[in-house]
Amino acid sequence: MSDASAARDAPAARAEFRVLVVDDDADMVAFLAMLLQKEGLRVEIASDGENALDKVHASPPDLVLLDVMMPGTSGFEVCRRLKGDEGTALIPVVLVTALEDTQSRVRGIEAGADDFLSKPVKREELVARVKTLRRLHETRKELESRRLAAEVQRKEAIRKAFSRYISPRLAERIADAGEQGDPFQGRAQRTSLVALFADLRGFTRMTEKTEVGSVVGMLNEYFAVLTDAAYQNDGTIFNMAGDSLLVGFNVPFPQQDAAERAWRTALDMVERFAPVANGWQKRHGLALGIGIGICAGDAIIGNVGSEHYANYTIIGNPVNTAARLMQLAAAGEVLVCGPVYERIRHLLNGHEVEGRGDVTLRGRTEPIPVFAVRAAARAAA
Amino acid sequence: MTDATLTVTVAKDLEDLIPVFMTNRAKEVETLRGAVAAGDFEQLKQLGHRMKGVGRSYGFIAVSDIGKRIEDAAAKADRSAIASAIGEYADYLSKVKVVYE
Repeated sequence: MSDASAARDAPAARAEFRVLVVDDDADMVAFLAMLLQKEGLRVEIASDGENALDKVHASPPDLVLLDVMMPGTSGFEVCRRLKGDEGTALIPVVLVTALEDTQSRVRGIEAGADDFLSKPVKREELVARVKTLRRLHETRKELESRRLAAEVQRKEAIRKAFSRYISPRLAERIADAGEQGDPFQGRAQRTSLVALFADLRGFTRMTEKTEVGSVVGMLNEYFAVLTDAAYQNDGTIFNMAGDSLLVGFNVPFPQQDAAERAWRTALDMVERFAPVANGWQKRHGLALGIGIGICAGDAIIGNVGSEHYANYTIIGNPVNTAARLMQLAAAGEVLVCGPVYERIRHLLNGHEVEGRGDVTLRGRTEPIPVFAVRAAARAAA
Repeated sequence: MTDATLTVTVAKDLEDLIPVFMTNRAKEVETLRGAVAAGDFEQLKQLGHRMKGVGRSYGFIAVSDIGKRIEDAAAKADRSAIASAIGEYADYLSKVKVVYE
């Protein structure tokens, strides 16, 4: 045997194979146990159906040898319950029975039995059946461990691919949801969402007054703060360009409290950016702050682009409106549209809220109600 | 029952189990008699069924055969056939010889 094949076979050879013998007849138990132990198997014993179920659930064996006619819960019933439980369904069950009629065999098959052994028990038959089931069991375990390894690999690939857009928690959910749960595939679709746009007030001045090397470092510092805030609230980052960031909520997963999440994200952004801004003020003499716009409504979500380059993104009125609101927002200010305000107003106690009335935004024909919230109140607290 | 049927050859590796097995058979005769006295045919059926399964497994063909007769007779509530089978069982147990190989 080569080293490689020895190493491959070693775990199976070492693995302990546990058999639970279930029979109310002590002599039959002693007989079966002796034969199985001679084959190097570990034997555990249950003297009735309920005791057997308890033992299987406490420590699942690799095989159950189950007498059919027992007082109380019958072997058929024990088998049916084991096979009906996801956690124990794969444990092979051999019904050991002196019942010879076809109807009893059919009942056993219907209960999910994997095999039958007739009483009186012939030792050669017992040993042959147990060996076969052991081989099947080990093959199944091997396949299962390979499947698990492939599953781990697949999840890791999903996590890597999606971590550009979403928080580690959301990436985990997508990976756990399996292929059906991959929201980044398939056709674009219309959906209700909340869009949050954030950018730096005074960015242009910053690029003019600061050397290029410093600007990149400052931008990285700034985006780290913003993405942390977005991920903290399970937002999905759809775009990062220049100094602006687009975060979506209720996409790609439903979030009943999407507007509230967007508001908390805005607060976190402003709060977390305050010490960064103070540092810049001291080091570079720059006074910068974040302006944020939030709007809700129906939009399109999907992959947009060509065969060679595509972006998973959100397009539509709420996204455009959030962008316009962001442009109007002063440093430390969050501008929200009417529907978002209605959904977050219960969270605004203690914050400075100002109704701006109906505002006609650039590029829009209809005015919309706009509310300004000074998030700095929480940052100061 | 002939002398040949009264000698049972049992596998050597079962030798340690036989004393308990024989003790349990003697107890079984008493349980059978009690069940007949009580007219408990359901218990008799179960006891017969159990004898049928365990007897031949150990190599005691007669135990399985008598067990089957008791099970069948109990299904018909045939008290005299059961009593006869129990008598035969007790006689067998008193005479049976075990050899190991």
